[in-house]
Amino acid sequence: MNKAISNIWNRYGIFVILLLVIALFGALSPKYFLTTDNLVQIMLQSAITIIISMGEFFAILIAGIDLSIGSILALSGMITAKMLVGGYPIIISILVGIIIGALLGAFNGLLINLTGLHPFIITLGTQAIYRGITLIISNAKSVFGFPTEFTMGIAGWIGKIPIPVIIALIVVGIMLFITKKTIMGRNIYALGGNKQASWFSGINTNLYTVIVFIISGICSGLAGIVMTARLGAAEPLAGVGIETFAIASCVIGGTSFFGGKGSILGAMMGALIIGVISNGLNILNVSTYYQQIVMGALIIVAVAIDKIFNPRK
Amino acid sequence: MYLIQMKNITKEFPGTIALKNVNFDLLPGEVHVLLGENGAGKSTLIKILSGVYEPTSGTIKIGEKEYKKLTPEESIKEGISIIYQELSVIDELSISENLFVGKLPHKKFFGLHLVDYKKMREKTVELLQKVGLKRDPDTIVKYLSVSEKQLVEIAKALSIDSRVIIMDEPTSSLTIEETKKLFDIIRQLKENGVGIIYISHKLNEIMEIGDRVTVLKDGQYVGTRNVKDVTIEELVNMMVGRELKNKYFEKHKSVGEKKEIIFEVRNLTRRDKKVKDVSFELYQGEILGFAGLIGSGRTELMNAIFGVDPIESGEIYLFGEKLSFKSPYEAIKKGVVLVPEDRKLMGYFSNFNIAENISIGPYMKISRFYGLVGLLNNKKEAMWANKQKEVLRIKCSSVYQNITDLSGGNQQKVIIGKWLAANPKLIIFDEPTKGIDVGAKSEIYSIMRELALEGIGVIMVSSELPELLSVCDRIAVFNNGRIKAIFSSEEATEEKIMYAATI
Repeated sequence: MNKAISNIWNRYGIFVILLLVIALFGALSPKYFLTTDNLVQIMLQSAITIIISMGEFFAILIAGIDLSIGSILALSGMITAKMLVGGYPIIISILVGIIIGALLGAFNGLLINLTGLHPFIITLGTQAIYRGITLIISNAKSVFGFPTEFTMGIAGWIGKIPIPVIIALIVVGIMLFITKKTIMGRNIYALGGNKQASWFSGINTNLYTVIVFIISGICSGLAGIVMTARLGAAEPLAGVGIETFAIASCVIGGTSFFGGKGSILGAMMGALIIGVISNGLNILNVSTYYQQIVMGALIIVAVAIDKIFNPRK
Repeated sequence: MYLIQMKNITKEFPGTIALKNVNFDLLPGEVHVLLGENGAGKSTLIKILSGVYEPTSGTIKIGEKEYKKLTPEESIKEGISIIYQELSVIDELSISENLFVGKLPHKKFFGLHLVDYKKMREKTVELLQKVGLKRDPDTIVKYLSVSEKQLVEIAKALSIDSRVIIMDEPTSSLTIEETKKLFDIIRQLKENGVGIIYISHKLNEIMEIGDRVTVLKDGQYVGTRNVKDVTIEELVNMMVGRELKNKYFEKHKSVGEKKEIIFEVRNLTRRDKKVKDVSFELYQGEILGFAGLIGSGRTELMNAIFGVDPIESGEIYLFGEKLSFKSPYEAIKKGVVLVPEDRKLMGYFSNFNIAENISIGPYMKISRFYGLVGLLNNKKEAMWANKQKEVLRIKCSSVYQNITDLSGGNQQKVIIGKWLAANPKLIIFDEPTKGIDVGAKSEIYSIMRELALEGIGVIMVSSELPELLSVCDRIAVFNNGRIKAIFSSEEATEEKIMYAATI
């Protein structure tokens, strides 16, 4: 494969795919799909996927994975909901929810360092543990009845723009800053590219592993709060299977499972492509069962195309 | 009556001749040692015997039968077994399963072939007795010590009635006690008429267990001697050769008289005891070399100094300041850096371009709290990288080229540049010229010399003696985790170093 072509693909391929998908559905359903309202709707539907994908991105970037994000999302959302119902101030409830997310992520990272096991195993375990805790503290029941300041403040609108979209964009902005402008971000890429060389270059690999999972935990916690506000209720089974979408977003966006390669914007585009496709298929009245098949095929096709453009030596 | 007679064996690979007219033979009941430095051609010869390689010319006579080449099957059928340095036992299987893998004894049961476990056990007990391993045949091999695993391999060789057993550095991971036991078993094998080809660097061992010794050097046959008629000095001479070739760089001139100590290590012992009670000083302006066999503790010492691996006791002084590094980060902060032995594994980041690879050094130095606090600066990054590109003469189209596009020598320069950009006070080079071409080698030597003249401490670990002799001002020789001797460049010779490293 020509180097120049593969460079162009790496830089712009994901945008081209997003535009192609939009063009496709635009052509199939010009009346409903290509309206401002629907495009805003797509953004709103993608907001939570985007937020969790930002965390998952870092976990995959260090050649790991985080399967526990759905459970962290549920537990953080549940604790914030319980506090709101218990009369705690909104800001405190939200902060505690996010801190819980960070702590659960830190626990993932510490366990990975302590046991030396692959993040896949650890987060597969904590996925079940965190879900179990959520079911226990909620008694397997939904929690609802929040002050409107909370639901409107998190899931409301500012003019024509939904607040979850703004939150997602802020998260993307922060992560862009971390990856592009900070030494920490560069070091995370280094850790993903070559763990041993990182240690020999002075990077504290254990510390950075914990940091990466804290970032993932914070994103999941925040997503849990946004979801709780949108639904007006904290569900003990919220976010089951949502890690599939986060992983798919990163992979479609060009993040390499071998570590060290990928971009925040790519992961965001990946989440948007998933959002556009599921929205488009809904408008075309395709059953959700078929949508699953399309989504699965998309993941495989995206990675296969990436492999064609970036052959491993 | 010879077991094996190899005559005029030549093996050519594209571009190099690995063996040239080598003769080797083996009698029943003798230990014939194969001796030579790394790359002398020992393993090529062994691989021809085991059927891995086909010789370009020459003949192999096994017993009465003459071969132009052997296949692996023929080699096994002729009773040749190899016990490799990296043992090839299967950890998850039992001892008896390991011994009979691929040839399980079986019995008929209603027309079915079933494994005959009873027979397998009996045979295993018998074989284990022969090699003196007191273990139950059902023990899972992963619970055995390294020396016990080796005995399992020997038992396996006996189980197929091997007449020739090849042992590749069998004592490299054994204790003195275990080595003694192995030698007892070798003597027993000799009595039973088995011929043993014994590969080792350890000269004193060879004197103890060997009957004859054949020396190879650079693929050439140097000679065969009876062990009882030869001295260690003679063997070293045969291994090293008299003429000093490879003079592709100029011998340095002695540095000034005034000697200030830059760096000092006192009584350093690693927690895993791979380095024991090591002390040395590094003076301003000099390059201090470390010689020794692979695994003798040189790399382990450097890693311990740099904070990669933990130390148990000992002190480190840099310009008189007492330091101890619990991680490479702490070492880098104080100006101590290491160019590691394996570029690809520990040196560079294949996902980074040249500029990113270089700037990780200075970024770690200026950032705070383990590199978590601090911002990137594209301008500085370009400046650091372009400066190193110029100083080190890195051949590349731009500093934004990916590092994997560069040659080995230029990759090594990028890794050196990573540390030079961080203004180090002491640079440790671990095998800096491994696998890079001659031109780049001499460039790296002159870089090291320039650094030393600038007052930066320079330490070099190398397995190539000619390189150490011509680059270094003093050479410390490692042997079994300790510094055995330190020679000045005037008094050092290949013979003296090899002697200190192997005795």
